[in-house]
Amino acid sequence: MTNLLEVRNLSKQFKSPGGPFRKARAMHAVNDVSFDLPKGRVVGVVGESGCGKSTLARLILRLIEPTDGTLRFDGEDLRAKSPAQMRKLRANMQMVFQDPYSAIDPRYTISRAVMEPFVVQDRKPASKPEEEVAALLRMVGLDPGLASSFPHQISGGQKQRVGIARALALRPQLLVLDEPTASLDVSVQAQIISLLEQLRDDLGLTYLFISHDLSLVRYFCDEILVMYLGRVVEALPDTDLPARHPYTATLMDSTFAPDPKLRRIITPLEGEVPSPFDLPPGCAFADRCPRAAAICRTETPVLSSDGGHAVACHNPI
Amino acid sequence: MSSMTGIAARWMAGYRGTPVSRAFGSWLGKIAGGFLVLLVLTAIFAPWITPFDYAAQDLTNGNAPPGWPHLLGTDQFGRDVLSRVIYGARTSLSVSATAIAISITAGMTLGAAAGYFGGFFERAVMTVVDLTWSFPDILIALIFVAIIGPGLTSTTFAIAIAYLAQFTRLTRAQIVRLKRETFIEATINLGAKPHHILLKHLLPNAIAPVIVVGMLAIGDGIVLEATLGFFGLGAQPPTPSWGAMMSSGTAQLFLSPWVIIFPGVVVAVTVIAVNLFGDELIRALDIRDRIRGS
Amino acid sequence: MLEVRDLEVAFGPVAPLSGVSFSLEKGETLGIVGESGSGKSLTAMSVMGLLPLSGGRITAGSIMFDGQDLTNLPEPAYRKLRGGRLGLITQNPMTSLDPLQKIGPQVDAVARLHLGMNASEARARTVEILGTLRIPEPGTICNRYPHQMSGGMKQRIVIAMALAADPDVLVADEPTTALDVTVQAQIIRLLDDLVKERDLSLVLITHDMSVVAQTCDKVVVMYAGRAIEHGPVEAIFDAPQHPYTQALIGCIPKGLSDDEHLTGIPGTVPNVLNYPKGCPFHPRCTQAKEICATDVPAFVQHGNGQAACHFPGAPQ
Repeated sequence: MTNLLEVRNLSKQFKSPGGPFRKARAMHAVNDVSFDLPKGRVVGVVGESGCGKSTLARLILRLIEPTDGTLRFDGEDLRAKSPAQMRKLRANMQMVFQDPYSAIDPRYTISRAVMEPFVVQDRKPASKPEEEVAALLRMVGLDPGLASSFPHQISGGQKQRVGIARALALRPQLLVLDEPTASLDVSVQAQIISLLEQLRDDLGLTYLFISHDLSLVRYFCDEILVMYLGRVVEALPDTDLPARHPYTATLMDSTFAPDPKLRRIITPLEGEVPSPFDLPPGCAFADRCPRAAAICRTETPVLSSDGGHAVACHNPI
Repeated sequence: MSSMTGIAARWMAGYRGTPVSRAFGSWLGKIAGGFLVLLVLTAIFAPWITPFDYAAQDLTNGNAPPGWPHLLGTDQFGRDVLSRVIYGARTSLSVSATAIAISITAGMTLGAAAGYFGGFFERAVMTVVDLTWSFPDILIALIFVAIIGPGLTSTTFAIAIAYLAQFTRLTRAQIVRLKRETFIEATINLGAKPHHILLKHLLPNAIAPVIVVGMLAIGDGIVLEATLGFFGLGAQPPTPSWGAMMSSGTAQLFLSPWVIIFPGVVVAVTVIAVNLFGDELIRALDIRDRIRGS
Repeated sequence: MLEVRDLEVAFGPVAPLSGVSFSLEKGETLGIVGESGSGKSLTAMSVMGLLPLSGGRITAGSIMFDGQDLTNLPEPAYRKLRGGRLGLITQNPMTSLDPLQKIGPQVDAVARLHLGMNASEARARTVEILGTLRIPEPGTICNRYPHQMSGGMKQRIVIAMALAADPDVLVADEPTTALDVTVQAQIIRLLDDLVKERDLSLVLITHDMSVVAQTCDKVVVMYAGRAIEHGPVEAIFDAPQHPYTQALIGCIPKGLSDDEHLTGIPGTVPNVLNYPKGCPFHPRCTQAKEICATDVPAFVQHGNGQAACHFPGAPQ
């Protein structure tokens, strides 16, 4: 299996400059992240707010410039590309955004929004424009009659389908899905997930799926990366594997089953995700971790693999 | 829930039709808008509806009180006040509208560039623009008068400069806000070049509040034009201007008050109408927050 | 304790809520579950007497609280009840606290207003309640401002305010939606403990069927401004009678097997302005027959629950 995307030691530091009334601070939004995305696979990135999962998505697409690390897409070094070369390459790597409500220009009709990829890439669609629009809308399960509607005239789920049609118009190989269902109703979320499954099979797509919802990630993805404060703390090559990192275990324990028979006594983890500014040395999870030892507060654990299942912990389960 | 009650509230508020038709929906909008339409028509068709030549003097009939045939009386040279007020509308409206059009064009260009590119360029532009704001309008006008002499050209440029900062700041604020919208990120991710983002997405979405503020500024421009005319820095005789008419009327304030009252009333009513209609338009477009945000 | 019968709410000519009924005993947790626009938050607002704030009014039905009908209650009496015997926890802890006031005085105000306590008694009570909510160093927290605290901590403060006047019924409107999953687990556990320790009645409004399964004794499922099914939680999940309830449960990944397949419910949640005639769910229902488009179905008894469907129990 060849890798469509190879990420090595990717880091992003945001610096807020100091001034007369505040001190300069540095935030490691993404810290030394490495992983492979094989062709045709679905890799999920899961974590709570502020863990850097959305920044990671934007770093991979170079919507944000990384501070450090390498990105190889289809064998090519992405970070060596000029802005013009990068613009061309974007046709191959698209993104579906979290908020469908603001993902389409409110002044654009649906057909204009769906045809925009061809305009900006200066490409001619294979068929006549109106036929292409109808084909794309049909592909994402929308009535081609909606082509002349404006975004405010359609529902959130329909908007997200338009977002997917736009992303797929140029037939990319990679689709980065940044919480594509987080702002939708449950019944619509399931529709979109089922559409994405079908499109992956039909078009042979590779997905990077970003989500805060562990049960959804387990359902939808082939592999899982768990992030905590900018780092990958565990990489599960199979979604059925038990957690080895205490944080992953906590996440799994905080997710309820939709079945009252599986009701259980929750023993929640105390505390919350600390501020990502100026992190202390050692494991970022140490302060909340029930298994923390002295070494956890001094040395940052590295992600080490044991037959594909990698965990960054001094004292894994 | 909040979204639903919001929908219901809008529905009940009659949220249908184009913004302009909604602005005309309230009785306030109807009166103010109706007056403005009438005023513009009057200015356009001035040559056909004025009863007398605005410049024709009749020294034997100076300072005649309102009556027949001079409905609003005559000034000290016996010129018909009504005809001069009607022609004055032409001067006031065209000077103010031209000035604001120049101001909007320059302001949007500067503001959009500053908001889009940011960094040092933005700071430089905004500093210079803010500097123009710190000068009193009259002082700016005096500078132009000193350079190109009194007249409507100086007035136009003075008004244009006086409102430049407002449009630049408003446009910049819109662009900065829009840049954070997901659809801009999505379009960049399609591989769009900067000019596509700016011309096809940012500017078209920024234009509505700028137009409304521009419309309100026309009202202020009329006042500024009248002020400059009053001081003799604006329209030169015999061109009729509301400000200049009031200025010449001060000499006979007690002898023939109609010479100063009628142009004064027209200025006041026009400015009130512009502001009321502008408010209705802001309500109809639902952009109050965006205008306040600049 | 609380009994709502055939509640109907109108905003001008729009009727976003009709035919909502449920009842709640002491020490019970009732879940009101539905998607956006289903009217679940509006139900909470009706119970709290907050409808006039947004221009709505109750046009039919009754809300009985401890033998008293709240629908005709004048505002001054309601004000005594609200925040007193009827506590409310709102959805967004980020905006339900006054950013300019310290935490202590904000929580104190409830006990001073409703229990007539003086400043020092109220503060002692505040510290005690913050302690029972497992907030570390409650004394110090009182001198903090909301912006100095995390989202989960703010939600605890909001809960403390709701508890300060010793309510009998607590209405929680999506109390964990704005929070991260690990923090959500903390808050759910906390609410669970409170119900047990204080014999509270809790109305939990949520869109999340998993949270309902974890915490509630009874469930009301709402769709398009109507209660379409209600009953004990086991019955609702084991043998849902209404096709919408069945489909909604089918929309959540269970993670039990690799063959699991989510399909979603075709179509979209209807808008308040054009609720379908007849059964509100019929345009999206795979079992719909002619009668569903014309007649509003009545509740049909099934075990301890009821479903408003012409063909209850039919498999989707």
